[in-house]
Amino acid sequence: MHISMNELSAALRRCFEATGYFVGNYEDAASMIFWLEKHGLQGLEELARALPYIDQDRQKPLSSMVYEDSTSAIIDSHGRSALNCIAAAVDLAHAKALDNGIATVKVHNCHNRKFILKALTDCGRRGISVAAYWQNGSEVITEHTAAIKAGDRYPSYSEATTNLKSDGVETQGLTIICSSRVDLTSSLQESKGNTEALSLDSGQVAFNKERTVESGININDSLWAEINRLGAGVLVSSSEQSRQGAGGR
Amino acid sequence: MTTPAAILASLRGDHALPLRPANQVMDLERLGSLHQSRLSFMRTLVRRIMKERWQIAPSLLQLDDQGYGTVVYQVRAPHGVFSFVLFSNYLSPEERNDRVIATQWDLTMALVEGTVDDVYLEKLRQNVPRQEAGRVDARVFVLSRANRSARNFDYVVDQLARGEQPDVDRIASVGYLYRTTAVYGSGKLGMADWEKVRTRHKDFARPFAGEMFVCLMLRNFSLMQAEHIARHKSPTRFTPLNPEIKRYFGIGNSTGLGMAPYLVNHPLLINQWIEMRELALARVRTLGHVDDSIKQQLNRLIDRCGTHMAETETEDDWQTDNNSAVRQDLLALKQYVDEDFEGWDALLTWSETHCSLQGQEMLVSIMLELYPELVDELEEFHSAEEMLDLDPLMPLHELKRIIETRYDWALAIDFEVEGARETCWYRSEEKMEPRLGSIADLEAKDKQMALGVGYAVHKCYSQLCEYMDKHANHTTARFMVARPKMRGIVRRIQSMNRCTYGDIQANLLDQNVLPMHLLRCKLAFFGVSKFDPRSRLWVRNTMFQGAPLLEDIGKPFSDDWFMPLAPQQSGEK
Repeated sequence: MHISMNELSAALRRCFEATGYFVGNYEDAASMIFWLEKHGLQGLEELARALPYIDQDRQKPLSSMVYEDSTSAIIDSHGRSALNCIAAAVDLAHAKALDNGIATVKVHNCHNRKFILKALTDCGRRGISVAAYWQNGSEVITEHTAAIKAGDRYPSYSEATTNLKSDGVETQGLTIICSSRVDLTSSLQESKGNTEALSLDSGQVAFNKERTVESGININDSLWAEINRLGAGVLVSSSEQSRQGAGGR
Repeated sequence: MTTPAAILASLRGDHALPLRPANQVMDLERLGSLHQSRLSFMRTLVRRIMKERWQIAPSLLQLDDQGYGTVVYQVRAPHGVFSFVLFSNYLSPEERNDRVIATQWDLTMALVEGTVDDVYLEKLRQNVPRQEAGRVDARVFVLSRANRSARNFDYVVDQLARGEQPDVDRIASVGYLYRTTAVYGSGKLGMADWEKVRTRHKDFARPFAGEMFVCLMLRNFSLMQAEHIARHKSPTRFTPLNPEIKRYFGIGNSTGLGMAPYLVNHPLLINQWIEMRELALARVRTLGHVDDSIKQQLNRLIDRCGTHMAETETEDDWQTDNNSAVRQDLLALKQYVDEDFEGWDALLTWSETHCSLQGQEMLVSIMLELYPELVDELEEFHSAEEMLDLDPLMPLHELKRIIETRYDWALAIDFEVEGARETCWYRSEEKMEPRLGSIADLEAKDKQMALGVGYAVHKCYSQLCEYMDKHANHTTARFMVARPKMRGIVRRIQSMNRCTYGDIQANLLDQNVLPMHLLRCKLAFFGVSKFDPRSRLWVRNTMFQGAPLLEDIGKPFSDDWFMPLAPQQSGEK
């Protein structure tokens, strides 16, 4: 199925609105997925993994502050998806970095962390540099890092499969480093036994975007149907009375 | 040509021009009183086409004697070649329906990037006539459909076939042959996204330029088709339309609630449009030189607007009263100008105490009309980066101050009063059509769209005050972690605070809200005339009435089709 960026964006907003996301959060969630896909970073693959669980977040507690000082904070997201909590964590790092030059925010118990890339990009655009690092997986551990310089429009992103043992690895954690004075860059070290490494610099991310703007987005039919099925939850059943509310002519 | 820096300096700071204040301009009833102006998108599009001498001609004309078939116009603009593709099919009167939920139309059309070959034309033929039920690709910028005016089309064809011109009085009453019922762009149904059009196709890189162009082409096709049918009906007696009468035909438009959510959901863009209109007014008010020539032009325009309003027919009592008030205002204005005119500033101030809102805004449109050298260059600045950004560093006392000053109108509303939250806006399962309902309908209440900005600000303010009782020195970022449900409205408040005009100041949840004001505001920016409300939820109007015809491109152009008048019929004085 071939769709436009606007169609994907609007359908995602409906989908998350219907799933109970708040105003502000459902736009964020939609734009996080959309941003990855638009820039060739497999946002729809990430979404397909997240979709079966997204309606469970409404039963979970909101993120809470575990620790905070002037240059750092620890947030527990209680198993929520990054789609509805990571933007606030990045904003907090941003605010602390502006006050103190550099800041670190650690987020625990957060799923789908790749979606942080959109929030990083917003920081770059606003003149703040950010880097993020996280690990993922239960049997095979992958690691990921992304960074953007102050004033840049596109981040870099690397991922690789590690030879780490799953014991002792906190697989749902994420570290954010943010600075108003230092330009942060990040890339995974090749000498640590990593395999299947993927690395995109900001130029490649920009190139992917141009391609999407020109021709739109290809989406798996069943995923598109599922997004729209969920999104139909915001639609009100039609009746003669409701037709009157459209003008009733 | 002006620059963004010069515009910014005129809008804000020590050297700013005397702009009308936000609480005056953003009042919903005033926004619903706007008229077309020379900054309206139809005017700016036509100006561009005429100045740049676009070459527009049919490259395929396959119409049978009844006017059914396929037509492709090739459009050569300075930065690219485009195709306007139109399918004309028989539609029985019983199937003719202007509602968005209709499934068949007399005409369907598309604006396409590049030229179209037979294979692509066939692909379009399989999809364009189906509209929402079809799919197109990113070569298509705009998709639209139109229905015949039952009142006018056959009459005009019969007149021309008889060798006679249509009666101008009748055209003054209904000034079009077709009415467009939807114009889609911006990526709907697989089309090119606005980002593509804006960044890669300079000819259509202004808001709604592609959509307006399709309506203009529809108008031209409708006139060509009527002549085509009449010619085949009676080859010997047929006479073509007199050019002046032909120019007086516009294209009809039927607009419903869909435009209302757009205004609320694109606040930065709407603010930009309003900033440019108000900046143009402030320029005229401050820099507009007045001499005898300007006074004569002013008098002529006042007369023209009065006649235009007199020629505007509507069955709606409310609009009839408004039109009548505007005519009275124009008479009073003329008298004031004859006796006391000392300058624009004094005239505007006088109008604010002596004219209706629609009369005041008519004066604004007239003032802009008189000074193209101060106004027209602003047409290049109607786009906006539509990103609502959170400012995480903003101290909460600053956020509170902004709400108290920029959103004092929202804090002044008592949302506990009966009826203050009675209305809800929702999307129907029928083509996701936006509809208005009552919160008594629990499903509609539960699924309502977040259009109650005033109420959201009100709630945010009380949560903010409560939070600040304990954490007065926190930043917005910290408030967002603690109150994530406020993220959307805080981001909006902070972003709109960076604008001169900000949000529309009205409670859209009130039981007495008039969506018509929202529709009219957007339609005025488009440049329509002859507002004819059919209820408080939808309005008929006329587009491009008086605009140049395709055959006028390349000829002398006065850009003087503001508030067009019925041409005098042959034999009239």
